[in-house]
Parts: sequence; C-alpha cells; structure tokens
Amino acid sequence: MAGVVKAPGAFAITPHKVSVCILVNIYASPSQISVPFPFSSVSQHNRLGLYLLALTKSCDDILESKLDQLINQLREVGGLLDHWLTDHVTSRLSSLSSPDDLFNFFNELRETLGGPDSGVMEDDQVILDPNSNLGMFLRRCILAFNLLTFEGICHLLTNIGIYCKEAISSCSSYELRRVDDSGNDLESLSEYENMDLNLVFKKINEEMEARKRATEQVSFHLHLPKELSTLVEDIEVFADPKSEHNDKGRESSSYASGELLRDVDPNGGVFLRTNWQIQGYLMEQADTIEKHGSSFTLNAFELTLRQLQKLAPELHRVHFLRYLNNLYHDDYFSALENLHRYFDYSAGTEGFDFVPPAGCNSFGRYEIALLCLGMMHFHFGHPKKALEVLTEAVRVSQQHSNDTCLAYTLAAICNLLSEIGFSTTSGILGSPFSPMISVGTSLSVQQQLFVLLKGSLKRAESLKLKQLVAANHLAMAKFDLTHVQRPLLSFGPKTSMKLRTCPIIVCKELRSGYHLISEFCCEGSTMTADGAFSTAWLKNLQKPMGSLVLSQDNGSRNNSNPFLFFTQPSSIPGSVMQLVGSSYLHRATAWEIYGSAPLARVNALVYATCFADASSSSDAALVHVKLIQHLAVFKGYKEAFAALKTAEEKFLCVSKSRILILKLQLLHERALHRGHLKLAQQVCDELGVLASSVTAVDMELKTEASLRHARTLLAAKQFSQAAAVAHSLFCMCYKFNLQVESATVLLLLAEIHMNSGNAVVGLPYALASLSYCQTFNLDLLRASATLTLAELWLSLGSNHAKTALTLLHGAFPMILGHGGLELCARAYLTEAKCYLSDPSFSVSRNPELVLDPLRQAADELQALEHHELMAEAFYLMAIVFDKLGQPEQREEAASSFKNHVMSLDHPHDVEDPIQSDTLLNA
Amino acid sequence: MLSSESNKSLVGLIYRAAEQLVGIEQDPAKFTPSNTRFQRGSSSIRRRFRTNEITSTPPTGVAYVSTPVMEEDEAIHGDFYLLAKSYFDCREYRRAAHVLRDQTGKKSVFLRCYALYLAGEKRKEEEMIELEGPLGKSDAVNRELVSLERELATLCKNNTIDPFGLYLYGLVLKEKGNENLARKVLVESVNSYPWNWSAWSELQSLCTTVDILNGLNLSNHWMKEFFLASIYQELRMHNESLSKYENLQGMFTFSNYIQAQIAKARYSLREFEQVEVIFEDLLRNDPYRVEDMDTYSNVLYTKECFSALSYLAHRVIMTDKYRPESCCIIGNYYSLKGQHEKSVVYFRRALKLNKNYLSAWTLMGHEYVEMKNTPAAVDAYRRAVDINPRDYRAWYGLGQAYEMMGMPHYALHYFRKSVFFQPIDSRLWIAMAQCYESEQLHMLEEAIKCYKRAANCNDTEAIALHRLAMLHRELDQPEEAAFYYKKDLERMEAEEREGPNLVEALMFLATHYKTQKKFEEAEVYCTRLLDYTGPERETAKSLLRGMRIAQSGFPSMDVEHFHP
Repeated sequence: MAGVVKAPGAFAITPHKVSVCILVNIYASPSQISVPFPFSSVSQHNRLGLYLLALTKSCDDILESKLDQLINQLREVGGLLDHWLTDHVTSRLSSLSSPDDLFNFFNELRETLGGPDSGVMEDDQVILDPNSNLGMFLRRCILAFNLLTFEGICHLLTNIGIYCKEAISSCSSYELRRVDDSGNDLESLSEYENMDLNLVFKKINEEMEARKRATEQVSFHLHLPKELSTLVEDIEVFADPKSEHNDKGRESSSYASGELLRDVDPNGGVFLRTNWQIQGYLMEQADTIEKHGSSFTLNAFELTLRQLQKLAPELHRVHFLRYLNNLYHDDYFSALENLHRYFDYSAGTEGFDFVPPAGCNSFGRYEIALLCLGMMHFHFGHPKKALEVLTEAVRVSQQHSNDTCLAYTLAAICNLLSEIGFSTTSGILGSPFSPMISVGTSLSVQQQLFVLLKGSLKRAESLKLKQLVAANHLAMAKFDLTHVQRPLLSFGPKTSMKLRTCPIIVCKELRSGYHLISEFCCEGSTMTADGAFSTAWLKNLQKPMGSLVLSQDNGSRNNSNPFLFFTQPSSIPGSVMQLVGSSYLHRATAWEIYGSAPLARVNALVYATCFADASSSSDAALVHVKLIQHLAVFKGYKEAFAALKTAEEKFLCVSKSRILILKLQLLHERALHRGHLKLAQQVCDELGVLASSVTAVDMELKTEASLRHARTLLAAKQFSQAAAVAHSLFCMCYKFNLQVESATVLLLLAEIHMNSGNAVVGLPYALASLSYCQTFNLDLLRASATLTLAELWLSLGSNHAKTALTLLHGAFPMILGHGGLELCARAYLTEAKCYLSDPSFSVSRNPELVLDPLRQAADELQALEHHELMAEAFYLMAIVFDKLGQPEQREEAASSFKNHVMSLDHPHDVEDPIQSDTLLNA
Repeated sequence: MLSSESNKSLVGLIYRAAEQLVGIEQDPAKFTPSNTRFQRGSSSIRRRFRTNEITSTPPTGVAYVSTPVMEEDEAIHGDFYLLAKSYFDCREYRRAAHVLRDQTGKKSVFLRCYALYLAGEKRKEEEMIELEGPLGKSDAVNRELVSLERELATLCKNNTIDPFGLYLYGLVLKEKGNENLARKVLVESVNSYPWNWSAWSELQSLCTTVDILNGLNLSNHWMKEFFLASIYQELRMHNESLSKYENLQGMFTFSNYIQAQIAKARYSLREFEQVEVIFEDLLRNDPYRVEDMDTYSNVLYTKECFSALSYLAHRVIMTDKYRPESCCIIGNYYSLKGQHEKSVVYFRRALKLNKNYLSAWTLMGHEYVEMKNTPAAVDAYRRAVDINPRDYRAWYGLGQAYEMMGMPHYALHYFRKSVFFQPIDSRLWIAMAQCYESEQLHMLEEAIKCYKRAANCNDTEAIALHRLAMLHRELDQPEEAAFYYKKDLERMEAEEREGPNLVEALMFLATHYKTQKKFEEAEVYCTRLLDYTGPERETAKSLLRGMRIAQSGFPSMDVEHFHP
C-alpha cells in the first residue's frame, strides 16, 4: 500500500515451476555415477542443465510457458531422451493428485540439494550446490511452497490439473498415440488408473469449463480432437444441468463480440513469470520501442501491457512502458498521463538502476520524472517547455544531491540546445545555472552550450558514468565540428587565437568515445545481458543441434545472435553498441563536411555492416541516406534511385522520415538538371511543407528547403528573387549560428550574382564563403568556392583568364579526388573555357588541351542528365572542331548540342514510377 | 469484507423501500394501515412494493405512466420456495439454488439465479484474497457469470423473464463488460418494474456522462425522479440534483434518505451551515445511522468542532465498528487533533474494508502530507485519481505535494487537472496562482490570470484580491493595483475585518491618489489611516501635510516667510 516500498522478487509457486523442479530433480538426481541414469553422455547432461538455466532466466515473454510448449522445447533439447523426459514430467505431474502428494514431492526435492557443507564431495556424486543458480531456484520453490496456506495448496493442485489437461488436449492425436506407443505406456496407463479417472477428470473438466467460459475463450473446445472430446463426454455424468447448455453457450458467446478487449483477462493456468524475468522483459521491450520507433506495433504491445497490469496491478513499470509506446506513436496526451502516473506510483524508484545515495531515499526520485518529462517535450517538439522542465530538473537534482540525474539532465540540455535552434536563451536558462555559468548571462547560446558541455563532461567523468562520458564526447565532437571556440571573455589580455575549427580535436573526441567498449565493465546491471542471453539461447532451440556455428547463413535471422553466443554473458549491451555505432556516424558526417568522400563512405559502410542490429531505425535510415546520396553524386541518378527503392522497402516510409526527404532531394536535383523547373518547384514546395511542420521546427530541414527554393529560382533565371531568398536564408543562418550552412549560402549568392551578369557583386560573396570554408576546414566546399571564384574572374573578361586558370589548377587535386560528377564536369568546362578565352592560346596548336576536358565533362554529365552544361560542352566542342576544320565531328557535336537544347526547352515526359509515386502521395 | 455491493444490493433495496414507506406514512394525509403489513416480515419482496405503489403515486402535473401491476404468475411452490428463501436468508446460496433446481416459476428461477450469482461473488472475494500475488491482487472472476448469462439470455429471448430476471441479466452483462446491452436490459427492467432501486443504481453506474443519460429511454415514473437526482449528484450537477431532491421532499416529507442526499448535495455546494443543521436533525430521527455520516464528519472537521466530531465518532463506533464510514470518521477526528499517525491507521482500515473508498484515499493523502511523507501522499492521491479521475481534491493534493517538493512546474499539470474538473472553487485557482508566482517560475502574468478566476468564484478568504493588487503593483501597473486594492478594501469593510492588509490597502490608495493629484480621495484614505498606530500613521500625517501645502498653493510658506 501507499508509501511502502514493495519487496521485489516475491516468488509464487506455479505448475510450470513444479515441472521445472521435476526436471531439476532429473538433472541432479542423487545417484552415484557421474552421468546419471537417463543420460548417455556428459554433453547431454550439460545441455539439459543449460536449458534449465535458460528457462529460469529468459525474458522473452511475461507468461510462463504451458506444458505443451515445455514438451516441444524438451524435444529440441533432449534429443534421444525426449520421450523419456516428457513422459517422466507428465506422469510425475499427473501423479500429484492430493495435497499430500505435493508435500511429499517437495520433501523429496530437498534431498537433491546438498547440505551447507557440500564442500566435501563424495566420489562422483551429483549434488546441487544450494548457492548455484538452479540450487537457488529450487530453494526458492521449496520456500514458496512452505509459505503457502492450505487454500493456496488447493489452488496449486487445481492449476496443475488444468496445466496437464490443456497440454494433453492440445497435443495432436498423433502425439497421444505416440506417447501411448512408447515403452513406458504401461506405467503411464497405470498411473492414470490409479487416480480415480472419473473423479479427477470430471472435477478438472468442470473447473476448466468454468474458467474458460468465464473468459469466453472457446478455442479449446473447437480444437479438441475427436477422441478426447468423446472421452470427456463419456466421463461427464449428467447431474449438472449446466453441461446441457454447452452448445447454446457457444452461440451466445458470439453475442458478446463487442468485448474483444476484455478477452485478454486471465483464464485458468495463466501465470506470470518471476518478477526478475518480467522486469527483464519490459526492459527489452523498452529497448525495442526505442530502436524501432513508430514502426513498433502499438496495439499488440498495449494488449500485452493490459494483461500484465491485470495480472500484476502493483507492477508500475507497465505505465512507463505504456508511456514509451505512446511517445513513439505520437500520442501526446496518453504519454503525458502515463508518465505522470508512473512516477506518482513508483516515486521514480522502481525499475531504474541506480545506486541509492546515502540517506536521501525517503524523498523519492522525482527529479527523474522531470528529466523524462523534459525529454518528452523535446521529442514532441516543444523546446521551450522542455527547457523549462529541464531547468527545474537541474534545480531539484541539486536540491536532492542526485549527481547522476544532474549529469544526465545537463547532457539532455546540451542536446536540446545543439539540436534545436535557439537564438537566445535569456530568461529561460535562469538562476540554477549560475554556479556553472558564473561569467554572466551575456554569453551567446553557443558559448553557453560550450560551458554546459564542458561541465557535463566533467561531471560524468567524476561520476564514472561511462556511457554518458562517451555521449558527451560525441556531443563535444559535434560542437567542435561546427563551431569555432571563441574566448569566453571579450576583455582582458587577448591571446592570439586562431579562429578555426580543429579537425584533430574532433577526431580526438570521437576516438575517446571508443574507449567505452574496452572500458565497459558492468555499469548497469548484468540483468539485461543475462536475460537476453538466455532468451537468445531458447530461441535458437528451434534450430537443429550443433549447427549453431553455421547459423549465420540464415539470412532472416538476427545477425547478432551468434555474436551474442560466443562472447561470454558479459557481452556488450545494446546501448553501448549503439553509442559506438553513432560515433561512426559522426565520423562519416565529419568527413562529409571536411570533404573526404571515400572516408565518409567507408565510415558509413562500417556502420551499416557492423552496427545495423544495434542501431535505432532512424540511425539506420540516416546511414542509408548518406550512402544513397553518395551514389547520386558519384554514380548518377539511375543507381541512386535503384538503391532508394530497396531502402524504401526496408524502412517504413512514414511522413517526415529521412528516406522521404532524401527522395524529394534526389527528385529535385534531377529535375533541376533535366530542366523540369515546374517539377522542381513542386518538389521544393513539398520539402517546404515538411519543414514548416506543426510539431517542431527542424532547422536543418528548414535551411535545406529554402536553399533549394533559391536554387530553383536561380535555374528559372529569376535572379532578384533568388538573391532575396538566399539573403534571408543567410540572415537566418547567421542568427542561429549555423555557420557551416552560411558558407554554402554565400557560395550560392555568388553564383546567383554571377549568373545574373554581376560578376563584380559576386566576388565578395565568393571570397566570404572561402574564408568561412577556411575557418571550418570545409575543404571540398572550399574547392568548389575556388571554382566559382575562377568562373567569376573569367566572366570579368578575357584578360583575367590566366588568373582564373591558376585558381582552378590549385583546386583541381581536391576536386578530382573528392568531388562529385557535377563538380568535376564544371571544373573541366571552366578549364576549357579558360583556355579558349585566353588570347595567347591557339586551338590549332594544341587542340587536345581543350578537347580532352570537354569530352571528360560530357561523359560525366551524361550520368547526371545535366542538359544545360552538356549543351555548353558540345557547343564548345563544335566550335573547336570548326576551328580545326573537322566538319564531320563538328556536325556530330552540333547535333548533340541541338538535342540537349531541345530537351532542355521541351522537357519531355519520360516519367518513372518513383516520381509519379511521390506526386500521388503528395 | 464480504458485505460487498452486490451482496448488499437486495438488502439495501429492501431498506431503502422501507425508508420511503416510513417517509410517507407519517404523512397524515396519506396514512394507510399498510405498515402493519411491513411489520409482518413477509415472504415476498414484491408485495411490499405494491403497498408502496398504492399509497404513493403522486398526483403531480407530469403525465406519469400508469403504474404497472405485477401479476402473480404462478401459484408459488410454497414449500420449495420457502425453504430456498430461508437458505438464502442464511446466506447458504448454493443450497438455496440446489433446492430450486427443478422449479420453473419465474420467481423461483430468479431466486435460483440470484443465489448462484451471489455464491459466485462470495467465492470470488475469497479467491481474491487467496490469489494475491507478489505484485498485487489479480482479478478473480465470478465463475457463475457465463452460465448465468447463457440461461438468462435464453429466457430473455423466449420472453419468459420478469423484471427481476432482467435486473440480474443486466448485472451479469455489466460484470462481463457488455455495457451497451446491460444498459438496454436494465432500462427495460426499470420500465416494467420501477421500484427496484438496485436496478436503478446499476443503471446509474453505467451512465458516466450526460449524453448517455439523455440517450436512455426511460418512461416517466416518480422513481425516475429519484434516479435523476442521484445521477445528477454523481455527474457533479449539484444544483439540478438539489432541486430534484427538494421537489421529492415535498412528497416524502419525512424521508431520511432524501434528507441525507440533500445534505450531500449542499455539501458539494459548500453550504456547510445548512448541512450541519440537516445532519443534526437526521441524527435525532435516526440515531444509529452510519451511512453518509462521513460527510457530516467532514463538515464538522472543516468547522473544527472537536467535541461534536468526537461525539459522532463515539456514536458510530458503538453502532458498527467495521464500517468504512466509521473508520473514516475516526480518522477525521484524529486528523483534527493533529495525531496524523493514528489517523492514517484508521483510514487504512477503511480502505481495507472498501478498497475503492474514494474519499479515504484522498484524506489519507492529506494526512501523509501533514506527516511530510510526500511519496506516500502522492501514491495515495494517485490511487484516488485512478479510481475516479474526476476527483478534483486528489488532483489538487497531488499538485500540492509536488509543490512542496519544490517542483512547481511539475505541479502545474495537476493543478490544471484539478481546476478543469472543478472550475468554481477559488482555492484551486489560488493554489495554481501561487505555483505560478513561486520564485522558481515567476510567471506573474499567468498568476494574475488565475487570481482573477479565483476572485470571480467567491473567494471566501479574500486572498485573491489582495494578491492581485500586490502583483499589479509589482508589475508597475498602478491603475489596476488601485482597482483591486479598492475592491479588497470594500470587501474588508463589508466583513468588518482589520489587519495589515487593510492598512496596506489604505496606504497604497492614499499615495496613489496623491500622485494622481486626486487629493480628495487621498485625503479620505489618509484620515482613515490616522486611526491606526505605527509608522503608517506618521506617513499619513506627512502625506496630509504635503497635500494641504500643494492644495493651498504654498500659502503656508508665505505665512512663514512673512512672519514678523
């Protein structure tokens, strides 16, 4: 009742546990030989032991398995022994027909256990160590039985009856016969005769009938094999008027079809597993929910939870799981309600692993509630509210001196600040931060974030929270990647700081994330690992024995299973894997930004192959996006769209998913290249809709959308509008400190001005972009800015062609090494143009110097279907051939030119399914 | 423990009817000798109702349907039925059912089914205790439900069912979760036999919203008035409920039941004075009453009547110690005495007797708050809320508990819930406003909004006006501040209260009007200030002096200057 912390691990004895006890008894029967009677080899013996261990630890379900499931599993485990084992278990169970039998049974069990001084082993005698896992299990069973009241024993007896009966009835008739045919049939028959068949069966039948009816599950009757049902009919004596209504009952049960949801309530023979197993199950489910996000089934799991709640009303963790489930299915109100309910009931002390700090336990741990609430608001896209709540969480955890929670809260705030654009935090980050931000509140958001990150990292390190340390390192790397560390104070002695980001620091931070794996000991309980291990073991029972090593060949199976097997039980938990994996993702992104295409691709590939199982679905989608983008840039659209198709099948294409965005991006680019401006605008608008979502403002997407808008306008030759859009975008980037994006926008502005014929206006933009690139080490972008600069110089007049060429040649290594198709083609074209416009250059003397780059450019543009540039290339080619006096080749080039100009002007409708698909969806 | 609702239902039915009967029969105009029949200890419930019907169909303007008359459909198998009935009365339900196994008369069938149902309920409650698992009780089920449903459904289809059978059928359907059909069946039952209060109350528990209520097809009968009054109370439509009950009181002048219901309705409307009077009267007529006395104890608690509460507690404990109401009353008494540990013990006992006793959970939460055991308090309140999500007191308690722990932002969620369910209670709005006002949040605009709502709903302690004035002053909005200070002042004058608030208001108004150059008003307030001692008096004096100087256009200075 209220306010009393419940003793966990109370243990109830159930029929399933009784049968496990029987098996344990077989496993460790007090005999004198090293391999006890029924077993033929040590490995067989061990295998049963392993199986029993797994049975007591696995957490793949909330309910204990029924007898038939147990029998099926025994068949897998027992091999040759399976008949003997199943027969023994069933006959032993059915021999328990009176309370006294149960008393005797548990007394016998006691003999299996060695005494407390079992150090002295007699010869090879098998004795169960009372402190081993199975020994503990046995002792708990015996204790639980001894604590039972007489009523409890009666219930146990009835339940055992039902447990056996259900198994027999659901066995196929073939099985029945086989059981009868086996060598022990005499024995089992006599067993059945011993217990007064009529009486027992009738009693149990009635009981089961009543229970079944009480829960409206008629399936039992419908699937009853003929022989058995006749048997049942025979036994039943017609003293009971109820049995006459059997058939009518089935009719009337359809009457109550509106109560489907109530069907989950317990019928006879449904028992929960141990508390430990259920907690493990719930933890695993929580992991799965977080991993799969909205593709996790809402209703099926809700049903399980409801059943669980009904069976164990005091297990409050259910509410938390329900919260998670609702959270990932975007049900704000239920999520909020369940979160509050969970913390109201549990005071934050149930289910979380934590080291209780000395003395302050009576307060409850409501700061965790605040942390969760803050994360929830963040998830639903209410950053301001989230920040308010997290601020309160900081204050409360300081008040209750819960340093762990404080560290996590700080990390959450850092995450919030870096993910979501805040132009100012004044008035939100208030007084509780003053000990950390002692410098005052005049700092910019970025500076505050930096201070917070440092503080959070230090705190996590001092508390030895390894995962948090790793996560903080990642966040730090992210910060270093995109922000210049400016001095915090604007006065005082000015040290000469070079205002650049430092790739080495980023690498260092990322690398320190890896140490997690090597240093990972047992923070968190071993429970998940243990339970997951047992679960996996049990799942693999279905496969033929001994082929475990080969199990990789089965494509549909989870790849990590064999991995989990061969490492010892302290295998790396999923969360750690996830963290390490995300450090690879960060690396890929970092290389993308720094402009090394091969390294970015390699890291993405490593992630996709090694961490695919541990990753959350959104991260996995992100990696696919990266790889497909890479394909599009380097291999052209055909391959990219083919890859996109497979990715779409793999990931659920829900709204706002990364895959959908990627599709729009690809479509937009292709449309621009082909000259389908209308389509481009349409796609761009769709992106805009995604960006202006009601739930939350995704700054990244917002910039992307307006950048593409400006590009479309540029392609449509509406220069002033394009410039206006780009300008306002730059203002936004400046306001929210999106400096990497600023460089791109500046470059775009330069291009706009160049195309509008104002090369002079364009120059400063290009130079500004260059300096941004230098500051942030954006090498590839820098190369392309240099290219634009060269183009600008070229358009200033032919006397600047030399300058342009020098610039271009400086950038060539980077462009050819890491640039995509378009960039390379543009560079070649510009090179050719530079030569052609140079008055001191004569074509006839050195034609290949021009023709070679032009051909290269045309080749590369082919894959992109970039008509405009291709037309330009062929035009130049035709002129060159004309100068050289090669009319045939000239005509060929001219006709290609004509083709491309035509298709640019009349975008013919070669629609492909993907495209029309999108438009329909839109 | 076993005196569960269902078990009580028939018994309850009988004594409710009897109460009404007495309520009427003392009315001299309608006196009939039928009370002798009541004395006789009859064999049939129905007959008693019939007497009721004869005497009491009221001649009001409403076109009531003619009261249906039950025809006795069978010559009672006197012996079997009588035997079964005696077994039934001795709570040997299965025995009773067995005796009637071959009887086909409607009444026998009903009694058999009802006995089976009660037997199932009894077993269910026993099992609930036996099957208590490590993680709480799992729900035991009534094993008889399915067979009963089957049998009753057949009877219903063949149209060979009487209203009592229908009632039982509805009950079974409700237990099985088939609410729509249950409602339909129960409506049919009460339409054909309106005096079965148990059927009405089952129906009531199935009507959780006004829309469902309006969708019911009930024929007009005066029992419907009882039903409506009761359900309005459940749906928190207290005024409607009160008017219905007062109407009914015109007919049943001496009905204790109606009197108690009126008291409860008035209690919900927070009219404590009247409630106390009613309960005193009620206790005089019915000194051994335990039912509804917890409400009375709540009133006594709020009014801090120590001795009256202790007297009441003494009385109920002599009458029946193991009633949840009795335990609750004692809990209230200890709480009033400040002995919170003991009080918790009694509330716990009440909850042991009835796990769904809403107010006990809430009151226990209050006790835990007093004992500074906030997690326990939160747990208790949350249980109350999960039993009835509309219980605004428990929501309020949750909010308070979290505010105590220094989590005002978290607490706001609960306060919001609480005001949502009870928007007319000023205390809730004030609590919410204080939350906004707290130094951690410091959201003064929101606080002002809440105080305004509080001021609009009859804030008896007059906190809201004063706080409003203070907040406006803090936000540098003197006009609004003056407005609220004035209102506050008027109020204090009306209630003849004195105190620092009064002085503060006067002081502010005086200075405000002075800066506004409204000297006349300022002078009035200053003069009033002169009646008080302390520094304010001196300030007022100097203010007055300053104003005189300003008014007279510096004459005094001249005088001084030209002094010889």
